[in-house]
Amino acid sequence: MTKAMSAPETVGSVGVNRVELSLAADAQMLFLARMTAAAVASRADFDLEQVEDLRLAIDELCVRLMNAGAGAARISLVFQWDASELDVLGTLVPEGGPTRNGHHASAVDSGISYELSERILDALVDGHGDDIVGGVHRAWLQMKRVGHLA
Amino acid sequence: MTSDAQFETTMSGPGVPVLRIRGEIDVASAPEFHASLSDLIGREPEIVIVDLGEISFIDSTGLGVLVGAQKQLRDAGGDLRLVVTQPQITRLLELTGLDEVFTILSNANDAVRT
Repeated sequence: MTKAMSAPETVGSVGVNRVELSLAADAQMLFLARMTAAAVASRADFDLEQVEDLRLAIDELCVRLMNAGAGAARISLVFQWDASELDVLGTLVPEGGPTRNGHHASAVDSGISYELSERILDALVDGHGDDIVGGVHRAWLQMKRVGHLA
Repeated sequence: MTSDAQFETTMSGPGVPVLRIRGEIDVASAPEFHASLSDLIGREPEIVIVDLGEISFIDSTGLGVLVGAQKQLRDAGGDLRLVVTQPQITRLLELTGLDEVFTILSNANDAVRT
């Protein structure tokens, strides 16, 4: 079951617990997004399992954005959290110039990978989704802290 | 910068190749993973073992490579078996339902015997 959700309105608007990362939409740069996700989740006091879950979820979110773009682009990630949850908004920002190599594994069956990515995100996060607004691809996810009492 | 994964092929028993991987399997390293696995499958073994015991990360792209290889081997009457020792990898296979697709064992010798 897909945990589809609309883009979180709070992401990018308020809060001191906010980290922004901009990186080339290049497969070789993805490790930076994973490292940042792990650091943010640790800083937000998520437990070790959720830190690992967020690391994988961010990877899936970034791959989804990279596969959405045909040319050179950057990925902007905004992490924002409070005592109960962490929201991440990813945006694919097109850039001029030639297409980068290594965006995605062309030898890999992208249909299988997309289905697996859906299963992973459904299982690991409390909500996720993606859309295109004004020609800009966005993807987001939300993770609630384990054990948090609303 | 190259991908952060290393691939090594060894033999476990007669005619059973083992692809041992270290590092992270993601969209950057998946093409090399796919190429290494395709090379082994091209030798037409009955069983191929992929040892994931020393990987620190695998995403849907890497899992997609495994699923594609399993389909290819099964179509030819063969089987792809996984060595998994880390709880987080076992959990990921369970979350995605792939624990039903692969024989998962704790070491390469078991994978040959099963």
